[in-house]
Amino acid sequence: MNDASLHQFSILTVLLLLFAFYGGTYLLTLMIKKKNEDTDAFMVSNRSVDFGMGAASMTATWIWAASFYAAATSGYTYGISGPLHYGFWGALMILFIYPFGKRFRKLAPNAHTLGELIHARHGSSSQLILAGSNVLGSVISLMVNFTAAGALVSVLSPLPFQAGVVIAGVGVLSYTLWSGFRASVLTDFAQLVAMMAIAILIIPAILFALGGPEVLITNFDKITPEQANLFSVDALLNQGAPFFAAVLAYSIGNQTISQRLFAVREDHIKPTFITATLGYGAIVIGLGMIGLMALLTGVEPLNGNMNNLIPQMVSLYLPAGFIMLFFILVIGSLSSPADADLCALSAIAMADIYGKNIAKDKPDPRKMLLIGRLTMVAATAIGVMLASLSLDILVMLVFVGALWGAIVFPVIASCFWSRVTDKAFTWAVIAGLVMFCIVRFSLLPMTGVVGIVFELLASVGGGVVIGLMAFGFFGRVAGLSAGVLVTLVLGYYSVDALRDYQVLMASLTAYGASTLVCIALSLMSDSRFDFTLIRKRVGDYDSTEITSTNTPVSNQVMPNNGKVILESQ
Amino acid sequence: METLILATYILVWPVISLAVLSVIVFATLRDFRCARREGRDVV
Repeated sequence: MNDASLHQFSILTVLLLLFAFYGGTYLLTLMIKKKNEDTDAFMVSNRSVDFGMGAASMTATWIWAASFYAAATSGYTYGISGPLHYGFWGALMILFIYPFGKRFRKLAPNAHTLGELIHARHGSSSQLILAGSNVLGSVISLMVNFTAAGALVSVLSPLPFQAGVVIAGVGVLSYTLWSGFRASVLTDFAQLVAMMAIAILIIPAILFALGGPEVLITNFDKITPEQANLFSVDALLNQGAPFFAAVLAYSIGNQTISQRLFAVREDHIKPTFITATLGYGAIVIGLGMIGLMALLTGVEPLNGNMNNLIPQMVSLYLPAGFIMLFFILVIGSLSSPADADLCALSAIAMADIYGKNIAKDKPDPRKMLLIGRLTMVAATAIGVMLASLSLDILVMLVFVGALWGAIVFPVIASCFWSRVTDKAFTWAVIAGLVMFCIVRFSLLPMTGVVGIVFELLASVGGGVVIGLMAFGFFGRVAGLSAGVLVTLVLGYYSVDALRDYQVLMASLTAYGASTLVCIALSLMSDSRFDFTLIRKRVGDYDSTEITSTNTPVSNQVMPNNGKVILESQ
Repeated sequence: METLILATYILVWPVISLAVLSVIVFATLRDFRCARREGRDVV
């Protein structure tokens, strides 16, 4: 069954749809527009976002255009378990962040970025590693989302790819520029409501349009036993586990997420993130089922491009009205993370670069706002330019993923363990990155002793991932026990086996190497950090309450006679 | 039986989405009402 072609809208229809979406979103932001925004509101909405808006914003930001396509691709490739191995792990990571988010808020209640917290803890070097990784990550994310807009417009209408890229860029910038994060949160709510409503309609509509579950059941014998297996090991090792390791890094390292952790009312963090977990999982796994339905009905992706699967299924089985809804679904899913990226980049430029490193904690709030808005304009221009050039960014994407993977343990350890130093943080990230590159780009042959060493290092990484999750929810003893146990089990089973799964092994190696270096260098240091200093060092820029100091922050220690402090939550 | 299981497996996600959407919409409406009553911005 490969006679599909995609439905084509006229240029006028597509322009009207885009104008209605971005025009409506812009009008929505006029409701909250203030002549004089303050920096706190612009960056974190004064940390008073309530449960409903917070849950909507977190869900919408976590879903990007690629989520639907990748979940459907996973369903098409791995069968029954495929959508779960995309959506479930992605959702779990939203849940994973909130215990650490509560700790971030406790340490730095007035922070706007995670970089500010790390600056107060360690100093500029660690902060700029985090800020740099975020700038790179958010620019790539902008490019990917604008590219998705260009691709969508070009496959569903005669409009050229570049037209879709430019319209999406200008559209997102127009509603985000003035009110910043406040506009992002408000529009996230509207975009999420539209996305969820459309997904709720489209999934059963396709199922029943192609003949109902009876038709799918009759085709079950045409798929492989692995595809028919809900507990497919193939799907777990090739899709679930690498994605799990990647999104864990994303959830901790990305400013779009930490910005929401700092913005939601502190007493609402837990329900907000639990609701976002359920919302993300349901919508992404649900849309991934379209890939499974395509597999079971024998549909082949148009031109061999897996990204055509969902538009193809919608075009094949549903009337034009549904295709319009699908168009809005994708535009909403790419606009929400794009506006979050603009806000993240502006907050990094305002707080991490200008506030902490240029103005040295004596910033001019008006200048800060100007810097934030100019950053948004520049980021949009760069995102549109990179997307228009259709650059191959796979290497850059892999590199950012590795950087975030290497950052996870040092960031979390820095917030709980008083012995972690700036040097330990920095060298841990560098070591994680280097070891990742060796595995991911096959710089050394993964054979013999070298292969075994890296497999054991990756096993430590696996233990770190599980240990951190257990630590977040159940405390230090559970975290250490789970980490050690998983390391031993993985170490036993991974030797001579894990090297066959290069992507997974590379991600886990980044975790393992950074953790070991961070622990080793921290243990070699005599310094102890007083966590209460963070609260004093991170303040609101509008009221200029920050404690300024000439002593490098990493040198300011707590005189506790060498007692190790490992704070539980 | 298998048909019912497969139908449930596919359709449970839009049902959960509907439940979450309802929670988010009602909570947001409540947020708006509270913000108006307290004279503050909702975001």
